[in-house]
Amino acid sequence: MRKQSIVLRLVTAIVLALILGPIAIIVMYSFSAAESLVFPPPGFTLRWFHEFFVIGEMRNAFVLSLVLALVAASVSGVLGVLGAVYVSRRTGAWANVLQTLFMAPLVFPTVILGLALLLLYKQLGIGTLPGLLIAHVVVCLPYAFRSVLSVLQSFDTALEEAGQSLGAGPVRSFLLITVPIIWPGILSAWLFGFIVSFGELNAALFLTGPGVTTLPIETFSYLQFQGSQLVVAAASTIQVLIIIVLLAVAAKFVGAKRVLQR
Amino acid sequence: MWAVAAPPVALLAMFFVVPLAYLLYISFMTNSQAALYDALPTLHNYLDIASDPFYRLIIERTLLTTLTVLGASLLLGYPVAFYASRLTPSGRMIMLMAMMFPLMVSNVVRAYGWVSLLGRSGVVNVVMSGLVAGHRPVQMLYSFSAVALGLLTIMLPFMIVSITNSLTAIDRRYIEAAESLGASPWRAFLNVTLPLSRPGVTSGLMLVTFLTLSAYVTIALLGGPRFKLLVSLVFDSTATARWPRAAALSFVLLFFAIVIAVVLQFILRPRRTGGARV
Repeated sequence: MRKQSIVLRLVTAIVLALILGPIAIIVMYSFSAAESLVFPPPGFTLRWFHEFFVIGEMRNAFVLSLVLALVAASVSGVLGVLGAVYVSRRTGAWANVLQTLFMAPLVFPTVILGLALLLLYKQLGIGTLPGLLIAHVVVCLPYAFRSVLSVLQSFDTALEEAGQSLGAGPVRSFLLITVPIIWPGILSAWLFGFIVSFGELNAALFLTGPGVTTLPIETFSYLQFQGSQLVVAAASTIQVLIIIVLLAVAAKFVGAKRVLQR
Repeated sequence: MWAVAAPPVALLAMFFVVPLAYLLYISFMTNSQAALYDALPTLHNYLDIASDPFYRLIIERTLLTTLTVLGASLLLGYPVAFYASRLTPSGRMIMLMAMMFPLMVSNVVRAYGWVSLLGRSGVVNVVMSGLVAGHRPVQMLYSFSAVALGLLTIMLPFMIVSITNSLTAIDRRYIEAAESLGASPWRAFLNVTLPLSRPGVTSGLMLVTFLTLSAYVTIALLGGPRFKLLVSLVFDSTATARWPRAAALSFVLLFFAIVIAVVLQFILRPRRTGGARV
């Protein structure tokens, strides 16, 4: 028994190192005083973070990613609530079909969705920015739907009926009674939407254009066409920081358990 | 009540179902110089892919890479999930958080990490030449192993989270019952725990299949221009504006994803065990 647990621990340690190591290395390089990826780094500097905000394309991409994430998380949050309310209160074939539809973008290869949307946009003449936003909402929707659905399934609708029997309309009783009870689910829907949109890469590959580029795409093309510059490491560290802050917020206000269940 | 579901349904109908149907339609049209496509129905896009030896090489390589990643993520992921399922609830929480966090970090960052580790002047080469006298720096990037390793580390958290959820849902009393009836821990694991964790294994493997086949960024950064997979060809076709060809390649990719998923579900289908073997 003891020998087994040593093997399990060893495998776990190796796997954790393989998963977290590459991220940790990049965070380290973002403080490196060298010009490129030199190991070990010759010294410590904050220069690359300064550079990140000086380079116009990087800064613009960062701002666009933030704005897109804010809007996409909010829109997909509202749509996710609507979808989850319907599915949680209806049973039968239709509810199942809709549940599958709402979850579909989660498993469907996003690269192919990006290509399909690009061709549709070209046909319909939809601009780059609205097109990108729509794609982000579609990609975030399953996360929002799942978060809200999980809280709604344990919500007692008798509370809402009580509100309605006391004279509140369905919308009012939903807003005044249901929303305050299910808000942890809504908050986690929003936070996940934000994180997913901020890191979204696959659909955006096809949908960004000149002057309208998200941060993951900007860093990707930087790596492909300008070599391994450490500004990208700084951009990566900023993304890691944002995720850690949002996860901490989620763990504090929603509860770590619910965050993990999603 | 219908009105409530209408906005999300409308969004997905218009921007998920319709574009994919349109993509399928385009894959049967003729490539055009000036427009997106010429409206001449043809099977050429698919037939060309099937007959071209270059495409066949890429498809074989794609399948080999996907199967390698599937096997390795199961072999490495299962023990970790098993370990996590035995932890105290708070320990498991920390472990799952450590798995969720990398899932959110963009794949550009994670591939960049491997570039800095495996490159000619990367960390591994520097450490090796420090340890081994006369070590010549080796370029480890742009190869099958670099791509497979990068993909593996991206897929492992999905696998681990999925199996851990399945393992923690198992009622411990089943295992205790097996052991009290004289089964060794190893046998209880093989005959009770392993079959009951099948749903997590299946859903993890399915997710890994779909994600591996479409992980363009990881493949592009770690495979470079030399080591391409099917999804890279979708991009190459769009770069030269051969949209019908790109559309057909997308559906070939989807086809293989679905075939692998169906085969996996068949292999891992729930079966009645043959009862006690003494």
